[in-house]
Amino acid sequence: MVLVSAVRDYLSRMLQDISGMKVLILDSHTVSTVSVAYSQSELLQKEVFLVELVDSISKSRESMSHLKAVYFLAPTSENIQYLRRHLVAPRFGEYHLFFSNILKDTQIHILADSDEHEVVQQLQEFYADFVATDPYHFTLNVPSNHMYMLPAVVDHSNLQCFCDRVVDGIAAVFLALKRRPVIRYQRTSDIAKRIAQETAKLMYQQESGLFDFRRTEISPLLLVIDRRDDPVTPLLNQWTYQAMVHELIGIQDNKVDLQNIGKFPKDQQEVVLSSEQDAFFKKNMYENFGDIGMNIKQLVDEFQQISKSNQNIQTIEDMAKFVDNYPEYRKMHGNVSKHVALVTEMSKLVEERKLMVVSQTEQELACNGGQVAAFEAVTNLLNNESVSDIDRLRLVMLYALRYEKESPVQLMQLFNKLSSKSRKYKPGLVQFLLKQAGVDKRTGDLFGNRDFLNIARNMARGLKGVENVYTQHQPLLFQTMESISKGRLRDVDYPFVGNHFQQGRPQDVVIFIVGGTTYEESRCVALQNAMNTGIRFILGGSVILNSKRFLKDLEEAQRLALRTEGKTYPINLEAKIYSSSHPPSDKNRREEPIFLLTKPDIRRS
Amino acid sequence: MATRNRTLVFRKYRDALKSVRAPTSSYASPSTSSGGGPVIELVSTSLLNPNRNYAPLSTEDPGNSSRGALTVGLPPAWVDLSEEIAANVQRARVKMAELTKAHAKALMPSFGDGKEDQRLIESLTQEITNLIRKSEKTLQRLSAAGPFEDSNVRKNVQRSLATDLQTLSMDLRKKQSTYLRRLRQQTEGQDGDDLEMNLNGSTSRMDGDDLDDMVVQSVNELAQIMKDLAVLVIDQGTIVDRIDYNIQNVASTVDEGLKQLQKEKVRGRGNDSLGNECPGICIELKIHVLHGEGRFVFAKGSMLILPIFICRDFVLSFPRTRV
Repeated sequence: MVLVSAVRDYLSRMLQDISGMKVLILDSHTVSTVSVAYSQSELLQKEVFLVELVDSISKSRESMSHLKAVYFLAPTSENIQYLRRHLVAPRFGEYHLFFSNILKDTQIHILADSDEHEVVQQLQEFYADFVATDPYHFTLNVPSNHMYMLPAVVDHSNLQCFCDRVVDGIAAVFLALKRRPVIRYQRTSDIAKRIAQETAKLMYQQESGLFDFRRTEISPLLLVIDRRDDPVTPLLNQWTYQAMVHELIGIQDNKVDLQNIGKFPKDQQEVVLSSEQDAFFKKNMYENFGDIGMNIKQLVDEFQQISKSNQNIQTIEDMAKFVDNYPEYRKMHGNVSKHVALVTEMSKLVEERKLMVVSQTEQELACNGGQVAAFEAVTNLLNNESVSDIDRLRLVMLYALRYEKESPVQLMQLFNKLSSKSRKYKPGLVQFLLKQAGVDKRTGDLFGNRDFLNIARNMARGLKGVENVYTQHQPLLFQTMESISKGRLRDVDYPFVGNHFQQGRPQDVVIFIVGGTTYEESRCVALQNAMNTGIRFILGGSVILNSKRFLKDLEEAQRLALRTEGKTYPINLEAKIYSSSHPPSDKNRREEPIFLLTKPDIRRS
Repeated sequence: MATRNRTLVFRKYRDALKSVRAPTSSYASPSTSSGGGPVIELVSTSLLNPNRNYAPLSTEDPGNSSRGALTVGLPPAWVDLSEEIAANVQRARVKMAELTKAHAKALMPSFGDGKEDQRLIESLTQEITNLIRKSEKTLQRLSAAGPFEDSNVRKNVQRSLATDLQTLSMDLRKKQSTYLRRLRQQTEGQDGDDLEMNLNGSTSRMDGDDLDDMVVQSVNELAQIMKDLAVLVIDQGTIVDRIDYNIQNVASTVDEGLKQLQKEKVRGRGNDSLGNECPGICIELKIHVLHGEGRFVFAKGSMLILPIFICRDFVLSFPRTRV
């Protein structure tokens, strides 16, 4: 809530002091930021009668000097160049410039130099540099997200860009909250460490004046962790409303694009799923699929009741009531048809891809079950013709993540079967995943089998039985949040940056996952906050992942890594190495060149 | 939330660079900014601001006068139309306030002949309705063709005014219905008492038929206006209300809206000659409103049943949370 309202406040402040007809000019970043927080009708109320993108505006020559221009851009060199051109030949009467992050002095120089006509009335920094999709969830929509998986040697400058973008985004969040945090990071992740240290440098040294806010007793906490510590959550199929829509169809900036899915009437091709504006969605976004079905049926019944009574107009009063309630009725109709369309579409997909069966095995792999049963189940599903390639890949990945060390022969068999069944599968991808996020790399107790306490907890859960086998998985984030709440987040695993220190429990915690968050995790955070434990958690990431996106990042990273090595994809390399029978307990065998990169460990370099 | 103002730094750099730059380049500028139209120094062309002031601009650097003056061109002609509508809306709002007072006064028991109050109420209502209708007609004139970007601005101005008009109409309707309902209650309450009926003038003179006529008339007008504005008014929370969607889909909807309005004008001619038979009015009005909306509302209602059957079977097999 607090992030959305911060963005709204920034926008209102931008527009309120400028009277008259205005045009708002955005770029591709800020348009996402603004669209999730502000609506078109609200802009119209503020007399903003035109919204344009900064790169498209240059094509037109029309001069509209009766309008005042309000620019809200990110301070990139591209945008500065566009602005230069606009200022040299101004089309509007006045120019009010707002930037979503910190400007460099050189950039201000360039702008001052181009403002020959002195049309610029003000130049301010309003730090709305993040996309606040949900009350406690934000994203940065970083374009080349896969960079976080690669070591600096592969592509130094792009990795620097990635880090800079993330650091700026996190800084903007804290500037919007007007707090300066104590920073901790995941020890085993180089990129998390790098981002944590650069953020600390920005907040405490380079721009310490800007961040020098009124200090409260307990500083908030910023925890920077790595996606690869929990690679299971993005791979799982989801069954709660918001997460499921993103997994099966895809949500971008709270919009769902249905054009490629099926035939829909023109006004239903793109729909909005925002908890701020849709009361039904707000109530149901974290509910599981069965409950949603019932709730939608109830909604449709209510609506049909009203429709029937509208058909039954006998007296003048009925007529009057119909006309009075017509706008409400129209809105309800739009809402109902939107939700029905989404649920129908998802039911169809579940049916086609046999996701009930696949997901059951996935959950077993993620949560409990023995290795033998798991192997059998995965093999059966790989043999099943109606299971799609992406689902096969996910199953093998989940199996590999869990049973990496147990029975490598069977693991090999699965790899081979996967390669033979899936035409599009890029060989070595699962191994690449293990190299990135295998058991040796992870800090957290992902499967609850390291810590004695966790083992006990899992056994207790197994005995009690599970309410819903499809939603039994809990992301690792839940454990992390619990540890923070109890003040038991281990310094060994999550050290402080520099000489930061925190006494007691923080009251505000921002958890940033480098590599992306998932809607399952944002649900976890929202439910945790609803329990009112006195700590408010906010979750953020570089992107919002679903399994498709996560796999794409993996593939892209693998491609770049191989290119640096000068190698191509191995063809059945695996079969050659494991033709002889080596005892499975021979640990040295694991370091053989089945793994493509012979350089020292990527993440520890 | 934190902000940082860099205007001073910017101005400092700008002034410093100005003195460095060659002075002759400055005189080339004025023609580029005005786009050919007459140039007037105008502070604000505020659409909805009733107190427009034409105070001259203060130039911020006394140094180079010709370059420093901010020249704002005259707005295009259609802005006058939109300002006219905005002024009408404002006037209508003022009259609504008066109407509320008149309603309250008329409902109070009085000894005099209530006809004055009635007349006042009727005239006010009539004026407001006329203002709304006139504004709505002017609104349609706004959507003519023109240069690309200007048409987007125009469309958005239209939408904003359409929303205002619709809220105004609904407000009026609400006020009327509350008033008429209370009036009816008062009338019915007095039917049994003959003596009082003669003493209390106005309220008892209204009988059922007159009230019904007024209701019908007001509902009729409201329906007409809502039908006309429906294409323009944005439904909150839908995709059309998204800024990013509007950036992509600007000019196309202007033409579409215009076409729909023209279609409805042709079909709607028969509406004005409704008879006085209550059921007849209801049916015709109902059909008319629905067709005018352009959506097959009831047909869709039945279409919704089919998909819910499809997902219901599946959904019933999905394990639900045990309550």
